[in-house]
Amino acid sequence: MIAIQTEDVDIGQLINAAKGRGVGAIVVFDGIVRDDDICEMELEAYEEVALKELEKIAAEAQAAHHLFSVDIVHRIGRLAVGENILVIVVSAGHRKEAYEGSRAIIEAIKAGVPIWKKELTKDGSRWVPGDHAHGNPHGQHS
Amino acid sequence: MTIKVRFFARFRELFGGDIVTAVSPGTSFMGLVKEIAEKNPEGYEAIFDQNGAFREFVILMKNGKRIDCARATEIPVADGDEIAVFPPVAGG
Repeated sequence: MIAIQTEDVDIGQLINAAKGRGVGAIVVFDGIVRDDDICEMELEAYEEVALKELEKIAAEAQAAHHLFSVDIVHRIGRLAVGENILVIVVSAGHRKEAYEGSRAIIEAIKAGVPIWKKELTKDGSRWVPGDHAHGNPHGQHS
Repeated sequence: MTIKVRFFARFRELFGGDIVTAVSPGTSFMGLVKEIAEKNPEGYEAIFDQNGAFREFVILMKNGKRIDCARATEIPVADGDEIAVFPPVAGG
C-alpha cells in the first residue's frame, strides 16, 4: 500500500499483511508529531507528484534491498501531537535487508518528496525548514 | 496557450494557490513565473533574489519533473503545461 491520506493507518494490519512465505523480518518506521511546544501540525503535499515519487522510492528500495513488501502511508492535513505522520512497513528475509531498506526509504522521502509541514503554536505558525535543494534536479532521491 | 502554475507551502500562502494563466508562445519558464510574481511584491521577494534569479532554495517542476533553476530562462512552457514552484520539502 502506497498512499497519501488524511486518515490514520492501522499499523497492525499492515504488519499482518506483510507476513508471508520467506519473511524473516519486518521493520516498521512510525514518524509521529513531536511535542516541540506546538499545538498541532499541518501537512501539505503536491499529491499527484508525491504519490508517484513514493511509488518510485518503494520500487527502488524493494529492488536494491531485496524486500518482499513495502508499505508507505504519508498523512496530510491537520495532526495533533502524538499522531502518526508517516508509516513505513517493509518485510524481508533477514533483518539487515529490512533495516537498510526502511532507512533508505525514509531518507529518500525526506530528501525529495514534495510534502511540507507547518507547526501550529499558540502564538502562530511556522513552516518546518527543509533541506535546501539548490534547484538541482539531480538533488532528487536516488 | 493556457498554463497552470501551482505554488505550495509558504509560496501558496503568498500567491493564493493555483493560478491558470494565458501566455504567448515562446514564453520561458522563468518569464512566466516572473510575470506572475511581479504582481505580488512579497511573493516576488520570496522567490527571486535581488538580481532577479531564482533564490537558491527554490524548487521548480514542469509536469511533475524537476527542472534546473539555471535553465529556467531557456525552457519554454507549452499549452496545457503544469508548472510548480515550491520551497524545500520537509516531509517524513
